[in-house]
Amino acid sequence: MVKVKIMGVGNKKTVLIMKEKRQVPQAVKDNLKFFVRTKKEILKALKDKKKTVPDLSEELNMPKDKVLYFLMSLLKYGFVEVDGIDDMDEYFYYKLKDNG
Amino acid sequence: MQENKLKEYDALVIGAGIAGGETALNLANVGNKVLLIDKDLTVGGKMIMLSKVFPTLDCSACITTPKVSEIARHQNITVLTSTEASDIIQKDDGTFEALITTQPRYVVVEDCTGCQLCEDACPVNVDDQYQYGLVGRKAAFIPFSIASPRAAAIDIENCTLCGACERACPTDCIDFTQTVEKYTIKCKTVVVATGFQLFDPTLIPRYGFGRFKNVITSMQMERQLAPTRPFNTVLRPSDGKMPDNIAYVLCTGSRDKTVGTPICSQVCCMYSTKQAQLLMGALPMADITLYYLHIRAFGKGFNEFYAQAQSMGVEYVKGKVAKITEKEDGNLILRYEDINTGKVTETEHDMVVLSVGILPNEGITQLFTNRKLELDPFNYVSQANPLESPAMTSIEGVFVAGVASAPMDIPDSILSGGAASSEAANYIRHIAKKTVEV
Repeated sequence: MVKVKIMGVGNKKTVLIMKEKRQVPQAVKDNLKFFVRTKKEILKALKDKKKTVPDLSEELNMPKDKVLYFLMSLLKYGFVEVDGIDDMDEYFYYKLKDNG
Repeated sequence: MQENKLKEYDALVIGAGIAGGETALNLANVGNKVLLIDKDLTVGGKMIMLSKVFPTLDCSACITTPKVSEIARHQNITVLTSTEASDIIQKDDGTFEALITTQPRYVVVEDCTGCQLCEDACPVNVDDQYQYGLVGRKAAFIPFSIASPRAAAIDIENCTLCGACERACPTDCIDFTQTVEKYTIKCKTVVVATGFQLFDPTLIPRYGFGRFKNVITSMQMERQLAPTRPFNTVLRPSDGKMPDNIAYVLCTGSRDKTVGTPICSQVCCMYSTKQAQLLMGALPMADITLYYLHIRAFGKGFNEFYAQAQSMGVEYVKGKVAKITEKEDGNLILRYEDINTGKVTETEHDMVVLSVGILPNEGITQLFTNRKLELDPFNYVSQANPLESPAMTSIEGVFVAGVASAPMDIPDSILSGGAASSEAANYIRHIAKKTVEV
């Protein structure tokens, strides 16, 4: 995809001024690392096959509530989508979203 | 920190929920200049977060958003979000001065188009407070789709200062050089519409909220039922299963002296009844049971609404839930005394909703320096003359609107906002007349 630059867009760097004033707490850095890793793991696990929350929990060795939280966050951010429900009408299947 | 200019308004309205918004609109419509402030990033208060309203089941957002956009576009209303008032002084002529403090949003609201490209670019994920922690949000974020202003904000506490948002913004509206703004305003009247906070159910440990994942609050269920919900449908937070047997525990943190809230929330019977009806639509196979002390269906159309829920199959069990325990599969056992049979009973459900009560917001009295804003025994703003002048407070020229004065539902909050605006408008006229006479 070609990124179109409009009138100096992206040239503003006021964040550098904030960086001089403020240190990013370690907990914030750790949280980012954890999210990036979890996101990668979930998206990789969904690469070939649609899965439910318990499927992902077992595969990633992560508690189901955590899987749901991150999976729903990824659904909100447009990375995954719903693809039907299991035969017992209990758990939904989720798959990678085709973003073209 | 900047010390800024002095500005003059006819009225300062503190709190931009439905009561404060209604007050501001009414005052502005009769020609008064209003400063409407809210500590949150958006106006609309709690109502804008609700799915539907009782007893009509009208879409809450469909009622709130036209009002919110009317407020935003009204030429007589100045709206300031992330803003609080303090050091309010009443002058000898009956007018007021207040210190206004606006926290930086790190976004120039006027330039933000709400395109969400900063959100896409932001790598951070933290709990979304507008979804009551059920899902994440970015550190560069628009609070929710119908927020007003619909503009991004930077959560600086959770920001990694990577600059991705600034690079992605097509209008250069992100500005990390913003600082706290402070300035003094003059006004003729003040309306306190500071609303309420929800009861924190961790204060009742025997219900297991915070420990048992499938025990959620009614506000979390409200979000699950809203069109802008956190999940793809109503799901159990423990494992993403569609629940089919949901219990409601009414009066959680209301009518309970042990947690310091002896009074009725006025709303938990009816919002639980509303949610039960909505759940029967969202999950047609689910059983919904409400455990209650008394059903208080006192308002217009409320009793019919309660009867409608019963006829739809919602089960009402009279009994106070004493304890909730969790099974290995995440299901929950409710132990209660069934008043109709007189027996201590245990029943299993796969999800429990705590119908939490409401509490007054703290710190209102400290806003005023040379006058005392009296509170009632339950820490709501005391109404000096509730029958003749329901919005009057202990300070002449300061009026109260909505839940800041007592627990009440949405129609009553709007009525209360109407009363406050008419009394405040009279006071403004009275002050103006006095100034002319002098």
